[in-house]
Amino acid sequence: MTIAAGIGYALLALGPSLSLFVSVISKKPFLILTVLSSTLLWLISLIVLSGLWRGFLPLNSTTWWPYGLLLFTSIAFQEGLRLLFWRVYRRLEDLLDAFADKVSKPRLFMTDKMQISLAGGLGHGVAHAVFFCLSLLTPAFGPATFFVDRCSQIPFFLVSAIIALAFVTIHTFSMVIAFNGYAEGNKMDQLFVPVVHLAAGLVTLVNFASGGCIVSIPLLYFIAILTLIYCGKMVWRRLTEHQSTQGNS
Amino acid sequence: MESSILESIGVEIIGVMSPVSICMFLVVLLVYSLSPSNPFSSPSVPIRTAANLVYLETPSDSATQKLEGSLLNALVFVILIAVVTFLLVVLYYYNFTNFLKNYMRFSAFFVLATMGGSIFLSIIQHFSIPVDSITCFLLLFNFTVVGVLSVFSGGIPIILRQAYMVSLGIIVATWFTKLPEWTTWALLVALAVYDLVAVLAPGGPLKLLVELASSRDDELPALVYEARPVVSRSRGSNLGLLVGGVSDSGSVELQAVNESENHRPTTNEGESFPLVSHSRERHSFSSESSEHSTVVVSCDRVQNREPEIVVDEEMSPLVEMMGLGNEREQQTRRDNVEVRGGGGGSDRGIKLGLGDFVFYSVLVGRAAMYDLMTVYACYLAIISGLGCTLILLSVCHRALPALPISIALGVVFYFLTRLLMEPFVVGTATNLMMF
Repeated sequence: MTIAAGIGYALLALGPSLSLFVSVISKKPFLILTVLSSTLLWLISLIVLSGLWRGFLPLNSTTWWPYGLLLFTSIAFQEGLRLLFWRVYRRLEDLLDAFADKVSKPRLFMTDKMQISLAGGLGHGVAHAVFFCLSLLTPAFGPATFFVDRCSQIPFFLVSAIIALAFVTIHTFSMVIAFNGYAEGNKMDQLFVPVVHLAAGLVTLVNFASGGCIVSIPLLYFIAILTLIYCGKMVWRRLTEHQSTQGNS
Repeated sequence: MESSILESIGVEIIGVMSPVSICMFLVVLLVYSLSPSNPFSSPSVPIRTAANLVYLETPSDSATQKLEGSLLNALVFVILIAVVTFLLVVLYYYNFTNFLKNYMRFSAFFVLATMGGSIFLSIIQHFSIPVDSITCFLLLFNFTVVGVLSVFSGGIPIILRQAYMVSLGIIVATWFTKLPEWTTWALLVALAVYDLVAVLAPGGPLKLLVELASSRDDELPALVYEARPVVSRSRGSNLGLLVGGVSDSGSVELQAVNESENHRPTTNEGESFPLVSHSRERHSFSSESSEHSTVVVSCDRVQNREPEIVVDEEMSPLVEMMGLGNEREQQTRRDNVEVRGGGGGSDRGIKLGLGDFVFYSVLVGRAAMYDLMTVYACYLAIISGLGCTLILLSVCHRALPALPISIALGVVFYFLTRLLMEPFVVGTATNLMMF
């Protein structure tokens, strides 16, 4: 029974990304490599951040502003890293195109590019879920559960799994939005991503209030769904544009 | 719609990474599920193996004592391995190939039967599976015999062979995780250094062995995982001989051969030493001729009954790109690649030694005893180290040790995670702060 609970928490956090992985990513080895490298990048960012903050830990758990500062710096750092990731990807894309020319294969389709960005985002999301939810799950396989004082209605593992799911969604699809925004030079898209990330991070600050998780989780899911819809609309627009240009030419 | 290049790039890298991942995953699972039973049984009987001949670690010792002892242990172990490897080289030099092969079969039998058997026993005990001893013995015997047959004989599907290689790796790695903590770390680092020296230094035993094998155009008498494509993956293939191929351009054959597992019955411990070796045979087809799908039917030296269909996939291009990203370099490289006749008894695909499997898994298994977080960090580090090694392999065209980069990254990430990241993540996550 306890094993079932532990697996249930893990699947709650990672189920959607697992199905995404199996259905889209796993058929294309290059995308798997992209997922792995983006996960590694996220892990490195986490290690660097924790190295920076190590001197100040443990934070005083009665005041909220140090945590706000921590979240802000972390998100700023990770958004900077996203720019770096984009640069690297840009070079890789050129190389892939050059290689495709060489073997007389078609160049990267637009859907291919989107899949690469999806894989990159999935890597970030999975890394988040793995380190913030899955790695804390070990006690959940045992015969007890754990409640946090500030959110005494739901077990801690369940809360963290739910929050992790929201963040996986946000990370995965905001990468698609960001890459598209960079490629098109669309300022709106470029701004949307850090804002969403920051908003989602700050919403978790609400958890600091006693019983705050009842408010913050719906808010978080609102943000996640917003990201999803935005991404869907953008992809749809790109696809229809693409088709119409193809039809004309 | 034509297939994009995304589907064909990196197939070989994944072909090596996935068995390594499976091996590590299963070892972690084993360590995890069996460790709760250990506190009652194991501390009283610390196992005495070749890896801790000199010093037997007890938790009460001081840190310096542990450090000195573990370093000594590692030194002795590495010296033992070096001696055995030289012995192997000498035997191989004087053409005792059959003896070596039989010895490998014997050690595989021993590992599967005794070490595997004891692991199965502890699984059966732990989950209290109702099996009577005769059935259990029969199953184990069958498992072992098929395993021994699959190691060097022909007529065995490659997938079975690969499965047995992975399970050998799992069994030995699970045994190695029973070593005390400090000894494990010292051992891993020492082995990585040894690997580096043995493969790269002039006169290194593994280098000698590989060069000898490649000059004889012979198979290494060692337990090696071959990442050959098993089935034709492309569309339109009709089971048998024809594969609607992926076009093939300058795909370089890289063999990372690894070295064997060397079993010492008296100490009840298999010690395996890793080595990765050389690209024995390089094939390349010039890119000009590569518009068409290429079908390579390799007449395998093991003479499998079924014809082995090998689809050449582009692996090196990705590697080139990532490694150098340099058009000119790519060109020169392509020119450098020797084109040897496609016919000869060559096998294709990357080879990774069993020792690498074992020690990657040992690292991850040791990490699993601390926390899940370190497991993920170490897994990612090892896999990326393996990726780097594969990229280097295609750049360097020579035998490369697979352990050093991965082990170094793994150890660094383990301690970083343990010392830096864990308080950070636990501190924020238990306050339900996430980003």
